[in-house]
Amino acid sequence: MTTGAADILVRGPLQPEPARGGAGSGPVGPLDVDAGDIAARSPLQLFWRRFRSDRVAVVSLGFIALLVVVALAAPLIVQIAGVPGPNVQNPNATDAFGSPLGPSAAHPFGVDQLGRDVFARVLYGTRVSLEVGIIGTALATLIGAVFGLLSGFYGGWVDTLLSRATDVALCFPILLLGLGISAACQVRGCAAGAIQPGVSTIIAIIALFNWTYIARIVRGQVLSLREQEFVAAARSLGASNARIVFGEILPNLTAPLIVYASLLIPLNILLEAALSYLGVGVHAPTASWGQMLAQATPIFNTAWWYMTFPGIALLLTVLAFNLLGDGLQDALNPRTVPQPH
Amino acid sequence: MFNHHHRWRGAALSAAAVLIAGLLAAALGACGSSENTSSAAAGTSVPLKAGESPLGQQLAGKKRGGTLTVYDHGDFEHLDPGEAYFAEDYTVLSATQRPLYSYPPNSATKLEPDVAAGPPVISAGGTTVTVHIKPHIYFSPPVNREVNSGDIAYAIERGANPNVACPYFTPYFGDLVGAEKAAGGPISGIEMPDKYTIVFHLTKPTAALLSGALSLPLSAPVPPEFAKPLDAHHPTTYGSEYVVASGPYMLKSNSKGKFLGIGYQPGKSATLVRNPNWNPHTDFRPAYLDRIDINIGGAPTVIGQQVLKGEDVVQNDNPAQSIVKEAYEHFPQQITFTPGSGTYYASLNNAHGPFTNINLRKAVWAALNRGAIVKVRGGPLVAAPMTHFLYPSVAGYEEAGGPAGPKVDYNEHPEGDMAVAQKYMKLAGYPSGKYTGGKTLQVVGATGEPEEGAAQIVNQTLQNLGFKTHLSILDKSVMYGKYCGVPAQEIDVCPNVGWGRDFADPQTVLYAPFYGPAISPSGNANWSQVNNPQINAAMEKATLVVGEPARAQAWAKIDEELVHQAVVAPEVYASLANIEGRGVAGVDELWNDGNWDYDFTSLK
Repeated sequence: MTTGAADILVRGPLQPEPARGGAGSGPVGPLDVDAGDIAARSPLQLFWRRFRSDRVAVVSLGFIALLVVVALAAPLIVQIAGVPGPNVQNPNATDAFGSPLGPSAAHPFGVDQLGRDVFARVLYGTRVSLEVGIIGTALATLIGAVFGLLSGFYGGWVDTLLSRATDVALCFPILLLGLGISAACQVRGCAAGAIQPGVSTIIAIIALFNWTYIARIVRGQVLSLREQEFVAAARSLGASNARIVFGEILPNLTAPLIVYASLLIPLNILLEAALSYLGVGVHAPTASWGQMLAQATPIFNTAWWYMTFPGIALLLTVLAFNLLGDGLQDALNPRTVPQPH
Repeated sequence: MFNHHHRWRGAALSAAAVLIAGLLAAALGACGSSENTSSAAAGTSVPLKAGESPLGQQLAGKKRGGTLTVYDHGDFEHLDPGEAYFAEDYTVLSATQRPLYSYPPNSATKLEPDVAAGPPVISAGGTTVTVHIKPHIYFSPPVNREVNSGDIAYAIERGANPNVACPYFTPYFGDLVGAEKAAGGPISGIEMPDKYTIVFHLTKPTAALLSGALSLPLSAPVPPEFAKPLDAHHPTTYGSEYVVASGPYMLKSNSKGKFLGIGYQPGKSATLVRNPNWNPHTDFRPAYLDRIDINIGGAPTVIGQQVLKGEDVVQNDNPAQSIVKEAYEHFPQQITFTPGSGTYYASLNNAHGPFTNINLRKAVWAALNRGAIVKVRGGPLVAAPMTHFLYPSVAGYEEAGGPAGPKVDYNEHPEGDMAVAQKYMKLAGYPSGKYTGGKTLQVVGATGEPEEGAAQIVNQTLQNLGFKTHLSILDKSVMYGKYCGVPAQEIDVCPNVGWGRDFADPQTVLYAPFYGPAISPSGNANWSQVNNPQINAAMEKATLVVGEPARAQAWAKIDEELVHQAVVAPEVYASLANIEGRGVAGVDELWNDGNWDYDFTSLK
């Protein structure tokens, strides 16, 4: 390992990624730094230098930043664009057969069956996707990290218990769970109204059942890290278990956590779209891309725009998060040979 | 009758339930053809083209023989004449079963004797109905014998058997002497003086209503020696595994009369073949086709394309909205529009919650844009704004105000009038014109278009009036079976319910959905839970009125009172679009929602 690699360690060796493509298992190669620069760069600087050289990842990050802006400023954008709000119904915007009319100056993305502006609904749909994607993933990552840390560090019966819990959660059919909640809880909710179909329930489902991969990865990393010398050193200095776990080991998991969380976001966005497509996601009339795709399916032959624009939005968003995840993985993994894009 | 668009699960409905089920839309075309067509297309900018209305359809077939292929994305509910209550089921029953009386396909008002030899004879002050039946009508194999009056008696008696649970037994046959305690055994009010005569004795002078009900499939003969053992099962296996036919066609069966797995694969297909024992000299049905192959399932848009570009093929059930448009524009000779296919409306809970306040109901009625719901249902070719309850082609429709309906300000603007709505909000005690009562309304609609769109329009209207709403969109069977049809659930608004008549009598449109004592704890069809003493009394009186004009007048008065009470938020009068392949000379059953009549349809 080069001295450069040694410099970006926090308190121990940054662990290589478990096999993901060829990146983590590839040959150890020279980093794109020369020896003279090493001392002057913090790990963050080094990461950023590697990341920004990946143009695809940078563009993806820019797109995601744009999405966040769109989600936050959706009402303002709708106002500036001069289109009606996402839930404004207008029967005059459909033809004599009730078929929605296509893109026009008044409705740049056309309208849906109720004459609602598709542009405004796509913009507002960003909110649901990002809300579910980011909050759901953050919670899932938190739960997964805690489970993985405890399981890997303590081993023994703790490991057995948490690993079996992970196995059980891993087996849970999330789509069926969503369908079941919808069927049983839609009208008045379950558990005294605490469980109802909607964004918060989707986030809860993700948080409760999508943490498993993170937990397994973290556990594997911790099993290795806890045998490292810096952990032994900390222990010999009298550090408590909590201090070792959260102060010594956790910082070394930052890279894989960021990478896997960024790859989990698009999966969760797709899960929300799938649940909404099946009619168990967000409540009408809240705009959601998955729900729009479901409503567009039976009229695709006469209203291509209704499927196309939310479809493109979903595709680009998922693609951006995936490419960002790849870029982060490349930039954070010291064993990666930067690939020109 | 329940409209087939509202696919209720009839099996879940008990015999005690008074008139369950969605709208089947039965009868149509009572008035002149031009009148019906124009009323259904009122306000349209899409004029009907020549040949697109089935009201003047040619009944003479083009060719004898051949196989018709039918696509139907929905499955059948029941193929038992005692249980069936849906338009889709009736298409098969009208080809395989012969009731005492039937409507020819181009009429919804003129009953023809079918198994009966002539018109019913009403006597004893309207408390006795005598029907003579034709000789030489035979059951299909394996029964093979001649139909007699005992088969008609058994068919009706089994309607009260809990294992059969005919959904309309109580409202239409409940006045038979002894019907109250009937549970499948003999009913004392049904007599068979000889093998070709049957006499019905009633506790009240309601013979006119009973005579009309003898057009329902419950009066089609059922051989007791074959069906009794099957009716002992719960639910009966007559009509679900075994059945015999009296009509020109039969479900393809084995030598024991079993058709399940042979002529019917649930969710997949059904096959009708000729009944070898059918006697054409006793029947007005020409039965041109040799065989009808029914394919069940598939996406409506795909089915629509297969039919419009196919030959010997038709679609049963509503085509997708985009297919209607395509057919109208590019295949105008392959589509028909049948008016008078029932009503759709949003029920407002008259018994609990905010809508016990009549002014709040009037406000919703005024605010709802019925024109928007016409659009979302496919435009004026398949829907018209609803202004009252007796719909076009039902006797009493004109008397109750015709297309404009009763003249009250909240009914005058089908496109919605917020100013009038505000007036009633204020009268209801909300001076700001917005509801401030705090209660969140439970609104339960149905999945799929156009129901979901209509539900969202109603939901938005409620929100515009200041109501907080919780809109749930559920499978139709769940919507009806667990929520809208269960008063204890106290659902405030059901935006996707509706009703159509069972036969040519206005009572069949108004009684079940609005008669207070008909409210039942489950399978309830009085979704608004209307229980108004004056209306109940008027209905009880109108039931006894004799003569079509007088009955139309009496029920039109009740219709007007229902409007004055604003018992629902009206949406649309429905019409049915039907599409056929190039090689089909299709004939619609006007009395059955405009669905295909396999007895009169032929290949070119």
